Amino acid sequence: MKKLHLTYRHKNILLSAAAVIIACIFLFPLYWIAVNSFKLDSEIFASTPTLWPEEFTLKAYKDQLGSLSVTMKNSVIIAVGSMLLSLCLSVPAAYGLARYKVKGMKLFVLIFLITQMLPASLVLTPLFLIFSKLGILNSYLAPSLSTATISIPFIVLMLRPGFLSIPKELEDAAKIDGCNALTAFFRVAIPISKPTVITAACFSFVFAWNDLAYSMTFNTKEIMRPMTSAIYTFMNQYGTKWNSIMAYGVLLILPSCIIFVTMQKHIVEGMTSGSVKG
Amino acid sequence: MQSNKREKKEQILGYFFIVPAIIYMLTFIGYPIAYNWIISFQDVTAKTLGSAARDFIGLENYKMIFIDLTFRKALLHTFVYTIGCLVIQFSLGFLFAIFFAKKFALSKPIRGFIVISWMLPVTVTALVFKFMFAESNGIINTILMNLHIIRQPIGWLLQGNTAMLGLIIANSWVGIPFNMLLLTTGLNNIPEDIYEAASIDGASKIQKFLKITIPLLKPTIMSVLVLGFVLTFKVFDLVYVMTGGGPVDATEVLSTYSYKLSFQLFHFGEGAAVANVLFVCLFLVALVYLKTISKDEVI
Repeated sequence: MKKLHLTYRHKNILLSAAAVIIACIFLFPLYWIAVNSFKLDSEIFASTPTLWPEEFTLKAYKDQLGSLSVTMKNSVIIAVGSMLLSLCLSVPAAYGLARYKVKGMKLFVLIFLITQMLPASLVLTPLFLIFSKLGILNSYLAPSLSTATISIPFIVLMLRPGFLSIPKELEDAAKIDGCNALTAFFRVAIPISKPTVITAACFSFVFAWNDLAYSMTFNTKEIMRPMTSAIYTFMNQYGTKWNSIMAYGVLLILPSCIIFVTMQKHIVEGMTSGSVKG
Repeated sequence: MQSNKREKKEQILGYFFIVPAIIYMLTFIGYPIAYNWIISFQDVTAKTLGSAARDFIGLENYKMIFIDLTFRKALLHTFVYTIGCLVIQFSLGFLFAIFFAKKFALSKPIRGFIVISWMLPVTVTALVFKFMFAESNGIINTILMNLHIIRQPIGWLLQGNTAMLGLIIANSWVGIPFNMLLLTTGLNNIPEDIYEAASIDGASKIQKFLKITIPLLKPTIMSVLVLGFVLTFKVFDLVYVMTGGGPVDATEVLSTYSYKLSFQLFHFGEGAAVANVLFVCLFLVALVYLKTISKDEVI
């Protein structure tokens, strides 16, 4: 029997083809969200689903315009607020943990590691009671404050290795030139770590943008709802209007998709370092 | 003396950078968790919500939930769901990692790209899977019927067992690439020359996998599984949006049940007690996780 010997080129083509097929099957749900958002009601209700819209239409998007203007504004404000808050706190913390030998460092890292693992559902009831006492339910503050707790530990763990790899001599040189600790942080450490800090900003925006649990619990008034809880309410009311639901879905996944596609390499690296170790 | 003073200054500067974030996390996560224990020993309902003096009722809330059949089911479902997800996402994630570790033109771009599912809002993931699993004109039923695997459309999310399966599949869509990514990092850390040396000694592919890959990957595998457990066990959005814990309470999990008790039935005390059970489970597993990672590296 003659043994089959594949040349490198053949193997390359074969494996690449297999990878493309895997990716197509795996990413089908993404395609399905997009393609169904361009269909008419009648086509969605047809007994056999169509892989491509028979009549390509933007009607599902137009139907949602009224409510979207409010919910999208809410989502943007909450996510930007959460992002700014979390960057202001987590970037210095990551830097401090990398640059300074402080007592209790292990404990600090441990606090971030543990709080990162604890889910929203643990603190929903107590935070609701606390926020209602403070009178900040149905405001932008409540969801921004609470979603920042998702990204802060993640960013600290993600940025620390980068700050650790900055040679100390660089900052020492800056200090000779008249920099103090604070200016060394702003003028040396941050510019060097710019790509990862930008990635961190993206993560914190996306985490807050994606949140359902906190915003749904704290902002029950329709006018204060972000897109995630609005789409959920919409589904409960008009469960079968899938084209409208998917149109909403497209707009909800758009920021994550744009961020992911434009800075994929940094995002993927950040994911591993942010969720695994210190 | 001089160096001592300098050291002290270093300490203070360090705290200046670190402490604000720590205080924030302790205020918005640490304190609420402690407060949650207090609530769980109190009689907190919609009426007593605003008043400062709430009655302490001891273990009454815990007694209530442990005789509650739905709670017991939720506890069981959470474990079934977690283990089901872990099996699927770890085994497929491992296969993907091995496949994409092969050197071919598209391996890296495609491997990087499928991770996108991790970045998407779980709300949308839940909705699209709900749509695909729909009984009439759902794409999954259509495909299975065209392949003659099933004859009648199945109401996937309308029956207990299949609804749980649907949730596990939807979650694995997010979990598989995540597992793949972490395992790939582990695979890349195994030095190439160990494999080369084994090849010279005449080891087969299977031997190399069992005798080199698995043992050297063991720490990574451990942390992927334990981290996966924690991340899966705390599921909320996916279940809440896709099945709402239903049909009846066939897919109710701890987090959704806690939410239901607190924010739909306004039994805040019992909701807090259920959340504390979730906390204890997570905390125990988190301890195991911290132990495994602190063995391999200095945290």
